[in-house]
Formats: sequence, structure tokens, C-alpha cells
Amino acid sequence: MTSTTVKPESIEFGLLPTPFFPRLNALMRLHSWEDWGGFLSPLIIKCVEREYFAIRNAATVFDLSPMCKYRISGPDAERVLNRLVTRNVSKLKPGRVGYALWCDEEGMVIADGTIFRLSKTEFMLLSQERNYSWLHDTAWGFDVEITDETEAVCGVALQGPTSFSVLESAGLGSVADMKPFDIRFPEEGLMISRTGFTGDLGYELFVKPEAALALWDRLFEAGRHWGLTAIGAEALYLARLEAGFILPEQDFQSVHVVERLHRGRTPFELGYGNLVHFSKGHFNGRRALLKHKQAGPRVCLVRLDIEGKDAAEESFVYVGRETKVGHITSAAWSPTLKRNIALAELDAKYADPDFDGLWVEIDVEKEGRWVRREMRAKVIEEPFLKNPRGRATPPGAY
Amino acid sequence: MTHANALFDTIVIGAGYNGLVAAAYLARQGKRVCIVERSQSPGGMAQTRTLANGSEMPRIAHLASALHPKVLKELRLLGDIVLKDVPTTVLSPDGNHLVLSAEGAQYADGRPHADSDAYMKLRKRIVRFASALNPLTLRPPPDLTSMSNLDDIAALAKAGLGLRFMGKTEAREFLRVVLSNAADLILDEMPDGPLAGGLAADAIWGAWAGPRSPGTVFSLMYRYGVSASAMVPVGGMGEITHSLVSYLRGFGTEIRTGTEVAKVLSRDDSVQGVVLDTGETLEANAVLSSLGPMASMKMAGVEHFDTEAVRRVRNVRSKGMTAKLNLLLKARPDFAGLDLQYLRGRLLVAPSVQGIEAAFNAAKYGDLPKEPVLEIVLPGLMNAGTNEADGAQTMSIVAQYIPYKLTAGWDDAAREELTATVLTMLENYAPGISDLVETTESLSPMDIERETGAAGGHWHHCELSTDQLLNVRPVNGMSQYAFGLKGYYLCGASTHPGGNVSGVPGRNAALQLIKDGVLR
Repeated sequence: MTSTTVKPESIEFGLLPTPFFPRLNALMRLHSWEDWGGFLSPLIIKCVEREYFAIRNAATVFDLSPMCKYRISGPDAERVLNRLVTRNVSKLKPGRVGYALWCDEEGMVIADGTIFRLSKTEFMLLSQERNYSWLHDTAWGFDVEITDETEAVCGVALQGPTSFSVLESAGLGSVADMKPFDIRFPEEGLMISRTGFTGDLGYELFVKPEAALALWDRLFEAGRHWGLTAIGAEALYLARLEAGFILPEQDFQSVHVVERLHRGRTPFELGYGNLVHFSKGHFNGRRALLKHKQAGPRVCLVRLDIEGKDAAEESFVYVGRETKVGHITSAAWSPTLKRNIALAELDAKYADPDFDGLWVEIDVEKEGRWVRREMRAKVIEEPFLKNPRGRATPPGAY
Repeated sequence: MTHANALFDTIVIGAGYNGLVAAAYLARQGKRVCIVERSQSPGGMAQTRTLANGSEMPRIAHLASALHPKVLKELRLLGDIVLKDVPTTVLSPDGNHLVLSAEGAQYADGRPHADSDAYMKLRKRIVRFASALNPLTLRPPPDLTSMSNLDDIAALAKAGLGLRFMGKTEAREFLRVVLSNAADLILDEMPDGPLAGGLAADAIWGAWAGPRSPGTVFSLMYRYGVSASAMVPVGGMGEITHSLVSYLRGFGTEIRTGTEVAKVLSRDDSVQGVVLDTGETLEANAVLSSLGPMASMKMAGVEHFDTEAVRRVRNVRSKGMTAKLNLLLKARPDFAGLDLQYLRGRLLVAPSVQGIEAAFNAAKYGDLPKEPVLEIVLPGLMNAGTNEADGAQTMSIVAQYIPYKLTAGWDDAAREELTATVLTMLENYAPGISDLVETTESLSPMDIERETGAAGGHWHHCELSTDQLLNVRPVNGMSQYAFGLKGYYLCGASTHPGGNVSGVPGRNAALQLIKDGVLR
């Protein structure tokens, strides 16, 4: 037996900077950072309102680098992804992106993410939280290689009505014919997808870390006349709520994170039953999900339109004055829609657009005094924000 | 080439004892059953083999203490398989051999043993404790996640009542010891020595555990739950298999030996049958596998099992610890001071709790112990009916603490070293035995795995320890015999309640299959 001495690498305490950190930090006025998977991620850079309106009226850059990025490649890559997620990955063509959820054996959602199909046998899976060991467990017994490229690939989300114009000015006009969810490699070492988290026109750009600052400078140089603004997560969260996208650990709890019984949620309960494809063969949680489908959802995550203009954050939802039937998970006054919107988890039987009796109890602080407001709320089926320009191909030049 | 596929209600993979029992329960209900066995003969670990000189001896298992009377009764085999109990003698190098029986402990020459009363008290207590667990044996383990099944609640209540009826003190004692180690339990009642060693040995057969390992009290209860005495089938171990095979033939059950299942077929999440290594397809609504969970999972394809299930199955512990030595001797060995009546029984080399633990210590680091624990029977003497060539004597030895993963690796040299180790030990009890040896055959756990398909060559297919018992046997969520795909079931020793040639896993699995209504 030979013994080897492993010298522990010294790791600096604290959060890691992403490859874009030098540029972000130079712009950062509020020193408002949050921890995203161990990386420094901006919450607000200068002013949340400005950043939000830049998303809706111009173009914005958000640092996506902390997003977990897994490369799944090999002869069985498609089988492994089909085994992992509830949707049918076989129907996803090379060069396309698909949103997907994955569940545990009881049909409870572990996480959601986007699958980038690069070729017949090669995929990238992007998710907000870590899923590396889960992927390896899922792939056991299959001919596939899984690598964690979270730090090997970095990226930005370029979102907003002028985002195509920015790309065009940056010499990337060839992406004009990209449809939503398309992937393109317009240049060596640059991957662009027409995806985003804002419900509007937008792209996501991925490069190697060494090319990060050059990409940033190129975009901002080109974006000078298009109102390009660096943004933090707060503005993005508001935009995503308008678009009706859900956030893990906010609108639902990953079943791998919760410890209490029955806190996990099925895709049906989160409103993603259309992404559960039973006919594709076995996938994780399939047997349990068949039973859940038959039994019906226990609760439903719904969109609420609420009276008034006070955001209903952390509020209960009632029927009448007494009966609690759910709670708000995300809420905001939508500046674009001029509506008071929210996502809420309700007992399934009240998650009905035709039901009239929902009330939200909102506590508001008015200059040192708390006021309780009872506001009518209504479940709505359509997304809050439907923006045809977000889907137009070729995109308009705004 | 096209030919109609053979049609059955159920395919049973493996004609080991549990596979045969499962098939028998289905056949007697009028189901068309086909058993597929890889080796040339049915019986698995319960087989009699004929040696070169014509003598017969058990190939692997040589006692049937755990054969469950309920299985024999339900299958109406009580007249065909007759068990007799035989005395157990713990050998002592100084000739003070110790005989253990339901009457107590005494020396082989008739002198009483000072701790006989303590032994009896403890033995009876273990048997009584074990009987409280019986309501949980002859049924699938209760599903603790839902507790919506009335049968589950009733079985748990019955076990609970069994404890209550013992009285408060005994019930408390049960709970105190049930998960603890055999060494503490035994040495609380008697000093260390052959008596304690003989009792401790019964707590560790087949186990990757020493008397000081937690859970060995349970394993002792499991063994004594059916019979605390050693039992042997009249006519030899092969009689069990012969009786079952002729029972099955009576119902027209097909037994295909020398052929292997290459794949379990499925469509729409239900099994459709099997494909044999010959390429032939056998169609069936249900498939029962008496192999362990990993082999069974691979046959059906990992993709049909949830990630959690695969992870659990990957982590099942089944590292065999038991080897088998089959010796042919020129003449009957002379165990000084031991009468013929004891030579007709079970002989143990288990000098003390401490000695057993020391043997485990070597094995757990992958080494051959200097003094493994031995269980010896002389089949020719034990069974008057067994053929034995003139003057020759067969000797069947179970050697415990022979690691599956021997650090040096298993090859002929390692097998010879094992034989030499055992013979050197036996010289202490039967001087001159080495000179009597005509032929030897040593089966390491790896050989047993190769021959029977039992994972790790493990006695119980899956370690019988507290984390792999009842509703977590073989793994959590798959304890009720159903195995992922609709119509796919486990029926071997890796399932509840465990191994030991009891037949209970096979019985329970077959009854569960019928109850689940998979067979129309």
C-alpha cells in the first residue's frame, strides 16, 4: 500500500466572482449582491425601476453564469434525459431548447430547467440549482457521459425589445431568422439561444470564461444606442412574474429540499401537466404520476388578478372571511400591465377561473401604521403578459 | 423461422428452493407455470450430488432447520418431506465436547454442564421472542408508508399483542435486546466458552457480522423462530427438491434446466414474458425472479426502474461470508470421546464468542481467518438412506467467515489454503483426519455465486441485517414482492423474510401475485 498525501487546496472564504464580475462590479452602485449557487449575483445594480423598464422598453444584460450547466453526451444521452424529465425529449430536435421538469419516484418535482439539444447524442441541461449527483444516479447503467460545465461555460441573458438590434449592431445579425427556442453557433466559441425569462424578445449567449469580458464589451459597445442596461435579479423577478414563469424555492419547494411530509408538488399541481408525457415509456416518477393524475391535484399554483395596487406578498387567500384556501407565493404591482398580479397556491377545488369568492388579506404598512386590506382576487388562465413581439421572427427593430 | 411462442401464466426464473415453492403455490391454483433454470439440475442450494466414487452428499446447504412447516402443510408435502431433529455438539480440543439440545446442555460423556439452566432459559426466551415476530413472517411486510391496508394493521397488532401477552417485563426485555448484539445477550447469562460459542454461532451463520455486531440477536431469533434444533430431511437435502419437482410435474409444470433467461420482456409497463438464451420467447402475464434485486433489475432493463429504486438496489449489501467444503474420507474419522449418536448430528467448531469475533475480524478485512467457525455433518451417518460407497465417509462442512472478496483473490491456491486451514483445525478434534482425505472440494462464496446466481454467494442473497429487514427488504419501497414493472415479482431469499431454505419468500411472493390480480 502506498500512501499519498493530499495537500488541501486553499479556498478563499466567501462567494466566487463570475467571469463577468469585473464589469458588473464597475457598474455596481448599491453593492447589492446575493448568493446564487456560491457565486456573486447582482440583486440591484443601480435602480430596480430603471432596470425593470429597460427590460420592457430597451435591452438588458443579466449574468447567467451561476446557472448550473451539465453536458450530457453519448449514445444513451436521449434515453437518460427521457428517464430524467417528464416530457418527451425524443421530440426535441437538434438545435432546439425545451423547458422541462423532473420528479422523484413519488412524482414530486425536484427541479426545472432547460434542455439544449445540440445534436442527436449531445445535450446541455441548465438548472438553477445543483443536480449533478441526481443526474449521475439517473444515468447509472447507461452509456453516457455527464460533465458539470457550470464553471467551464459562462453566459448572459440579453433580454428586451431592442435585444435583436443590439446583436445586429454587434455583428450578429445572422440570428435574425432564429425562432423562439432555437440554438445557433454564429461564431466559433459562441452559443446563442432564443430563450429567456422575461416573456419578451430575448436571447441567451454562452461563451468560455476567457471570452467573457470581450463578449460583455462587444455587447455594451453595440448597445450604446439601444439603451442596453446591466440588471440584477430583482428586476428580472418582476419581469418573470409578469411572464408567469415559476421560481424554485419560491413558488414551489424542491422535494429534495423539503424535510416535512407532503410539501412536494407534482407537475400537475404546478400547472405543467402538459409537460408530462406518459406515452413515452418509463420515466422517473411515472407510476406515481399516473396515480396523481387519476386522483387529481391536491393544490394548484395559479395566477391571480387582485384588486387594488398593494402587492399581496406573503398573504393568505380566503374564501369568505374565515376559510383559508391558500397563500400567495409571488406578488407584485405590474408596472407594464397596470394590474396587481400574483402567483398563489390554492386548494385545488378553488383553482377555478369561474369561482368568484376569493379574497386576499393584504397587510400594508403606511408610514408607521399597519392597515389590513381585504381584496377580491380572481384566478386567470392566460399568462399575465402576452407579447407578440417576443415571438415574432424575424424580430422587429425597435 | 417462425414458431408460435410458448404461452404461460407465469415464468419463474431459477429453480432454487424458493422458485420451486413459488411455482408450486401457483401450479396448485391451476396456473400454467414454466420454471427456467440456468444450471443442469433444479434445487439451487438444496441439492444432493453424487461424488466420483458413488457416494452422495449435499452440495451446498446440508441442514433444513428453517424449512417452514406451514409451507409443507399448505403444499401437502408433510408426508413426502420428513424432518428429524438431530443433536448439536460443540467440539472441544480437550475432549469435553458439549451437546446442546432442547433438554439442555451437557457434556458428551453425560456430565451435566454448570450453565445448562442459563442456556435453557436463554434458548426458551429467544424462541418465545421469535414467536412474537411470527405474525409478520408468513405475509408481506406491512407497508408503513400508507398504513391503509387492514391486513397490515392486523399483522402489526398481532405482533404487538404477542409482545403484550409475554407480560410487561418480557416485552421490555424484547425491545431492549431485539436490535442489539448476540455477544452481550449471551455473555450476560454465561461465561465465554463452547456453550456461549455454540449459541453465538447460530446468530451469525451466513452473516457479514460478528457476535458483537448489532442485529445479531434478531438473526438468532430469525433462526430459532422455526426451530432451535438442527433439522435434517430424511433421505438428504435432495429429497426436498425431488418432492417439490414431482409435485410440480403432477400439475404439468415445465422445468427447463440448462437454459438461461436473457431478458425479461415488457410493454406498456407490464411484463410480457422472457427471452431465453436460445432466442426462444416464453410469453407470460407474470415473471417471478428468485434472483437478487440487482440481477432481476438488469434482466428487465434498468430503464424501467425509478432512479431511487436503482440507487437502493445498488447499495444492497450482499457480500457472502460462507464457504462450503465437501470432503470424501477413506474411513470414518475418530472424534475422540464422541459417540456415534452425536456423529449423526451437527458438529460445531465455535470455541467461544471471542474466537468467533476474532474470525470475523480477519474476514471483514478480506483475509482468511486462522480459525473459521465450522458446522460439520457426516451425511452418510446422518441419513441411513444416503448412498455411501463401502467404508468411505462423506463430510460436509460449512465454513463461516470466508470472505467473498478475498484480498488475495479467489483461485485454486486460495481454495487449497482454505481446505488446509480447515483440516488443520480438524486435526485438533479428530487427529489423523488429514490422512483419511480422499478428495476435497471447496466452494468459495464466489464459486457459490457462480453456481447458484445468489449475489455475493450470500446465504440470504441480501444481508439479513436490521437495515435490510421487513419493509426495507431487499430495499425500501419494494418489500412487497412486486418489482417495478406490473407482473414482475421477486420471490427469492433476498425478499422478506430472508434465506435459510425456508420456502417462505417463494410462498409469500406467489400469494401476493395471486392477490394482486395480475393473473387473469
